[in-house]
Amino acid sequence: MNRKQRDFYRWLKNVGSKVRDPPASGNRPSYLGSVKSSSDSAALKPFPANDKFVSQPVLSEEARERIWKSVMVTGLPLKAVSAQYGVDMRRVAAVIRLKAIENEWEASHKPMALPYAKAVLSMVPVADLRQSDQPFEAINDIPVHKYTQQQLFVPTSESRHFTRADAAKAFGEHILPPDEKMRIPELIQFERDIAEGVKPQEAQDNFVTAAARSEDELAAKESARVERDEARKLRIESGRFEFRFEKINVDSSGKDGRSRRGVGWRYGVPFNDRRRAVVKIPTKVE
Amino acid sequence: MKYRRILRYHGLRRPRVRQTWNKYNLYNLMFLKDPRNTARTFFQQKWTAKALTRGYHGEHIKERQWDRMFSRRLLSVVDMKPQYMATNDGSEQAAGRGSGLITGKPKPVNKATPYMQMTFAPMERRLDIAVFRALFASSARQARQMVVHGAVKVNGKKMVHPGYLLNPGDLFQVNPERVMTATGRPRILNEKLPFEKKIKNLAKKNEQNAEAEAEGKNESPEEAAVIGETKSVGSIGEAALKLQKQKELRALMLRAKEVVKAHRDMSGKKKVVVRALVKDIKDTINKAAKRDTSLQQTGDALHDLSVLVSKLELSEEELAKKAASDAEAAKTGSRFVQPLVRLTDAEREIIEKELLLERENPVDPSKPYATPWQPRPYMPAFAFIPRYLEVNQKICAAVYLRHPVARPGLAEVPTPFSETVNQLAFNWYLRRG
Repeated sequence: MNRKQRDFYRWLKNVGSKVRDPPASGNRPSYLGSVKSSSDSAALKPFPANDKFVSQPVLSEEARERIWKSVMVTGLPLKAVSAQYGVDMRRVAAVIRLKAIENEWEASHKPMALPYAKAVLSMVPVADLRQSDQPFEAINDIPVHKYTQQQLFVPTSESRHFTRADAAKAFGEHILPPDEKMRIPELIQFERDIAEGVKPQEAQDNFVTAAARSEDELAAKESARVERDEARKLRIESGRFEFRFEKINVDSSGKDGRSRRGVGWRYGVPFNDRRRAVVKIPTKVE
Repeated sequence: MKYRRILRYHGLRRPRVRQTWNKYNLYNLMFLKDPRNTARTFFQQKWTAKALTRGYHGEHIKERQWDRMFSRRLLSVVDMKPQYMATNDGSEQAAGRGSGLITGKPKPVNKATPYMQMTFAPMERRLDIAVFRALFASSARQARQMVVHGAVKVNGKKMVHPGYLLNPGDLFQVNPERVMTATGRPRILNEKLPFEKKIKNLAKKNEQNAEAEAEGKNESPEEAAVIGETKSVGSIGEAALKLQKQKELRALMLRAKEVVKAHRDMSGKKKVVVRALVKDIKDTINKAAKRDTSLQQTGDALHDLSVLVSKLELSEEELAKKAASDAEAAKTGSRFVQPLVRLTDAEREIIEKELLLERENPVDPSKPYATPWQPRPYMPAFAFIPRYLEVNQKICAAVYLRHPVARPGLAEVPTPFSETVNQLAFNWYLRRG
């Protein structure tokens, strides 16, 4: 054994043993950050050299159950549940999707990875989403547009009331102001109501109504789209196959005949779907 | 077959941090330092940074492939508070001399967004790396193998391409058995685990006790005579059968009592006792099944216990008779008093709970991992789940919610390297100067 190996085994015996096994009781993450320094901020850093990465809490079993109940049993709109617990809307939807599979497995007695789940949730920091807890994550994140990353000098008059919407326009004609990019814009109205002295309960009710309405509108729009698509198709059931006929426009292949919206094989245009060295990994699964 | 993995994967002399839960990797991660860049050309600095970072981020992916995936567009977000949006329209930031009014209060300093830590963000979209990040595999290479071997489904359909780039909203599932194998302690063939020895010792002791009880103090002369008679005849008589049943049940109940006693014990003792009970239930029902063909072992300790108790327990009438005979024996000073062990409802509840826990994580030598399942060593140091995934560990499924983003003070791409190293690597892939 050389010196480096000796050092390694000595470290593993003395220090490494602290992170070898999960804590005997309760939930206590043990990362390398806590081995290196005893400060609170280092406790959740798995990479000692990277202080910009933190192991953030995940939803506990209890929290998932709570989210599932408020959507599927209480029937609250997703936006309201998201605002109530401070959980991103996409995460709320994912929790419900996963829970549906879990329930299906439970009903059909399919074996689940229970000891694994228990062990993992004892190792990572978890959030229970109790009433008094901090919001789980930011629910109104706005993606930074590339056009807004440059510094801009816009000459205006001193007296001009230059707002967010004006700033967005200055960056580009198509750049939307943050008010229109909010995932839950109904929350702005809710805060405005609160600032104007509307009773909290009333403001909350208004918010839930507005959220439910916007979700209904979205659902109606989606079902209308599906209906429209269906109306264009003619389905003929032949026992073994279902034939679907759809009207095609020849011009959709474009001027050069190579547009991706064109349908079918076109004379003189190579069809590469069986060529070697062409990436054939699917880009989406539906 | 092409040998993709380089030799000295986890080295101490020329350490490279990898995407694994290996103990050597843990050590290298602990002592990872930025390379010394003084007196080196910019090219040399970038080269080293690229080599270091690529040794971790998708080391199993060819450089050409990653080169195509690389994007200079780094995603970031800003949290806009609705409260601020409701009370301000943004014009206050241009008030005064053009940069907001001077109020005397110190202005809050915004943390910088660590964009450079997002250099390898496109890599996190890959299916194999996402499986590793969801803690379903102990290394990225193992995750890749799971995908190639057909253990991973995307949106309910089998996906065999580890290079599939997940789209926001994609749900991927891994076979739970594969996950338990990958993340559990490996099984060592013919290894006797300490608790197995303990169970054996306990069982032996129990047997000896039962025998001693049966032979020594508890057998009344008539019973002995009955047993002797049946032995000579060759078929078990009614009385002896009842006695045997009683004895078995008594041993079982004693064992169950031990479980109740150890209920609050947090050490390993509880596990040993519960497993011994399960083993006893199995043995008892096997014995009972030989006598009574209507009984059958189901492999479910909880069910078996309830069957045993209902079948073997004496009826109320018999109990009363027994109590009377006991009292008589006590009066006459006879030493053949055998108190019947019975469980209260509360005790039964505790036992049922313990058996349920035991059923979740049973001892099963047919499994490819060590049973009962335990996480592999050093897993806690690597166990984190990034926010762009939502994982359900019970069914080993996860949803890729969105692409990883940077926000003020935090970057979501799990990278062990500092901003300096990542920036140099980013500059390498920009291919400029």
